[in-house]
Amino acid sequence: MKILIANRGEIAVRVIRACREMGLPTVAVYSDCDRTARHVREAHQAFRLGPNEAARSYLDIDAILDVARRSGADAVHPGYGFLAENAAFARACREAGLTFIGPSPEAIARMGSKTAARAVAIRAGVPVVPGTERPFEPDATGEEIVRSADAVGYPLVVKAVAGGGGKGMRVVDEPTDLLAAIRTARSEAGAAFGDTSVYLERRLMRPRHIEIQLLADHFGTVVPFVERECSIQRRHQKVVEESPSISVSVALRQKLAAAAAAVARTVEYTNAGTIEFLLAGDDADGMFYFLEMNTRLQVEHSVTEMVTGLDLVHWQIRIARGERLDIDPDRALTPLGHAIECRIYAEDPDQGFMPAPGLIRALRPASGPGIRDDNGVNAGYAVPVYYDSMIAKLVAWGGSRDDAIARMSRALQEYQVLGIRTTIPFFVWLMRQTEYRGGQYDTTWLDRVMAARQGVSFNELDEGDTRLATIAAAIDTLLRTRAGSSTAGLADGPVQSLWERAARLEALRS
Amino acid sequence: MTFEIEIDGTGRTVVVEPDGPGRYRVAVDGEAHEVHAERAGEFGLSLIVGDGSHASRELQIAPGAARGELLVTLGGRTVPVIVNGRTRARRAADDTGRAGLQMVVAPMPGRVVRVLVSAGDEVAARQGVVVVEAMKMENELRSPKAGKVKEVTVTPGTSVEAGRVLVVIE
Repeated sequence: MKILIANRGEIAVRVIRACREMGLPTVAVYSDCDRTARHVREAHQAFRLGPNEAARSYLDIDAILDVARRSGADAVHPGYGFLAENAAFARACREAGLTFIGPSPEAIARMGSKTAARAVAIRAGVPVVPGTERPFEPDATGEEIVRSADAVGYPLVVKAVAGGGGKGMRVVDEPTDLLAAIRTARSEAGAAFGDTSVYLERRLMRPRHIEIQLLADHFGTVVPFVERECSIQRRHQKVVEESPSISVSVALRQKLAAAAAAVARTVEYTNAGTIEFLLAGDDADGMFYFLEMNTRLQVEHSVTEMVTGLDLVHWQIRIARGERLDIDPDRALTPLGHAIECRIYAEDPDQGFMPAPGLIRALRPASGPGIRDDNGVNAGYAVPVYYDSMIAKLVAWGGSRDDAIARMSRALQEYQVLGIRTTIPFFVWLMRQTEYRGGQYDTTWLDRVMAARQGVSFNELDEGDTRLATIAAAIDTLLRTRAGSSTAGLADGPVQSLWERAARLEALRS
Repeated sequence: MTFEIEIDGTGRTVVVEPDGPGRYRVAVDGEAHEVHAERAGEFGLSLIVGDGSHASRELQIAPGAARGELLVTLGGRTVPVIVNGRTRARRAADDTGRAGLQMVVAPMPGRVVRVLVSAGDEVAARQGVVVVEAMKMENELRSPKAGKVKEVTVTPGTSVEAGRVLVVIE
């Protein structure tokens, strides 16, 4: 099997690593600004897809299939994002005689529609958040929508049928705001997904986001895994994930796992997937509701790997090539210790998490006991403006949650990404928060705390550290003056080396 | 040598005198320190404080993404540092900024999605004026101060480079 990885960044590197471990040749694809990206350098072969715009490179199905043909690849791993949940891409792979390392196009299409997925969950006997069963017709009258909303009850959420990542989603507290929310959700969904269909769901107050990873083979075996806790979210985007969840008992875990497996069986699901649930209230054995299914490998799969010792990407490939899933189901459901993942983004937490692309001057990832760093960058690489700004996933494992937090704090302070702003200082702060450490949070907690902080810097130094930074800046300037260069000068241009200039130009090109 | 070092709005006068290999006598606003400093990699400095504590710290001093920006990283946090003339230059810019014109510039390359104000509009401090899309995210750029919009230099769809002036506030 020769595998084309239709992706970039850390996930492409992650898949290439698995392939190398399994002795399988790999084919990387890249856009112009990614010519020297890490995934290109670590694959056995690499092919240019096209210009920087994702639509003309990583989202160009024809270009990717052409590379598959030219390289002689016989399988495609889509990673996450880009074409990973695109049923047309999975179908095109199948029609081109390629093994798509993921579920069938039928399962992707079915679970990609939120209303169809809700219907599947209902049929599987899994509770869903109360809501409208079908999307509104484009010409639905205001009266009709208001009547449905009254039946669902307030507060409610308007959701895009094709939605994801918080796009096309609007919270409505009062009936008077309903129709305006429907309009904005429709227009946002149209722009993001090319589909303006929306439906309504009751809004649960302060829920936790709990999800169940599963694997399913082509012989009807479905293995659900220990839950992941993903309630630390900023504007509906996960920023920290853990396994197991502090709020899930062994009994509740069994129920969640059984519900997830039932949903997967109902759609004859194959390969890796994740069922997301909302857990209501503070009661550890409280009610849970099916939220949606992600028909792909997820960013946060690594925490599951850390607490089970199983390699999900290896299993994706083995299932795709027709092997039987023979994992001990108890092992998959029994976590050893605790794992936490921080998503490190090229964003400036002191500027409202504004993207901060640019040249990485130096990179020293954290390492040592219990640390796993999955990054997709290297020193000398300019983080481009065209794609998601995640540069690394830092995972800490510990025998207990407290140990994992302590390790994460230690590792964050070791991690050096020079030249650009990252979210590392934000995570250093987060790991110190009493509510986080105590596990007292829900999906709305982080946004509430951030709003209350009102722009206080995450990078504040105490007096001693400020003094050290002052001394270091002075000595650095002295040493560079003696050596005939200045660090500040590097940024100004005249002493810039050619490769730095090239990388900078590349970053600015649009 | 004497340096003017500014961190987080506070300027300090630092006098550094070499005192043998890797050793420095440093005075920060007149307060004396003995420091043992060695290069650790291209941007790193390993410091051992010579006050008897032998406190050891590693700091990284590297250029940032913005022109002329210098970033110091220690213990998982990163702060911008202004060395010497840059202090005066920045203060001067800030002063004229407060008194007169203020620019809203693109902090990164991207594409203008929406323009929220037009010339002649009164704006409040931190009011959103332009939305720029970069890295798949929409970023609302805000007015740095209350005032009147003098000029809008872009329209929706315009591709902008980092540093491009988008809106002028007076």
